[in-house]
Amino acid sequence: MGKLKPQPTVSEETAAEISAIFSSDRPWVVVVWDDPINLMTYVTYVFMTVFGFSKEKATELMLQVHNEGKSIVAKGAREEMERYVQRLHEYGLWATLAREDQI
Amino acid sequence: MTPTEGFLRHGSDTYIANFAETEREVLVNLVQQIIEILAERHDHANEDPLAAMVGITTHDSPPDDEVLLRLLPNAYQDGVDAAEFRRYTESTLRDKKRAHAMSMRMLLLSATDGDVALDFENAQAWLGGLNDVRLALGVRLKVDQNSHEDLELLAPDDPMRAVYAVYTWLGWLQETLVEALMDEASS
Repeated sequence: MGKLKPQPTVSEETAAEISAIFSSDRPWVVVVWDDPINLMTYVTYVFMTVFGFSKEKATELMLQVHNEGKSIVAKGAREEMERYVQRLHEYGLWATLAREDQI
Repeated sequence: MTPTEGFLRHGSDTYIANFAETEREVLVNLVQQIIEILAERHDHANEDPLAAMVGITTHDSPPDDEVLLRLLPNAYQDGVDAAEFRRYTESTLRDKKRAHAMSMRMLLLSATDGDVALDFENAQAWLGGLNDVRLALGVRLKVDQNSHEDLELLAPDDPMRAVYAVYTWLGWLQETLVEALMDEASS
């Protein structure tokens, strides 16, 4: 029998966090921030056009942006979320992306 | 000539507005300024033609100018991620915004009778283009710090008063186009 290797003490939680960092399917989100320039109807229309949301759903998210300062409007793989942010920037909305747990 | 009544939908895929001569001039002038401000941000160093060809720019820091920063915002709150994303995508975004402004300019200049007719694709360009002008004026008017009441009360000789009048007119015009498009979207 050889010598015992030193065992770092890693809790299950830490292990889960470490594996999450390397996991490629960890969700990213698109956040749209409130700004005083973009009109409410315009933001609603952009949500309908970019994400294919119904008018009701788009209005609900627009109101969340307006009332709470921000809203998460999409969730998924990083590249896809980057494409959404780019499209929202084309329309002049103030959007960023982030890891879901960092919002 | 009478002032425009905004955009109205005609048939399934046409959105028409008639502009008075002065309105057309104001709009052409404004989109021209957007084209110019975007050009200021153009890559000075096309050192690497291959990089330029695939849309990689030399810019990875956000623009210093407030208007340009609003037109070309950061995609990440984190500075490192934002810089990386900007390097690969900013030129595409800039080209898109330039194309929106150019489309508006071309249609306005050719509308000698004042009639501007948009198909769906042009309507999207106009929405984005009008919005870029509103963003630029809104930043200059500091609408984040000044309430609408403050701006309504600007002195008659304050040059910002005229800017605010154009800003609200553009908002109204954009809204008529959104409503015309929504008609279709909900039907």
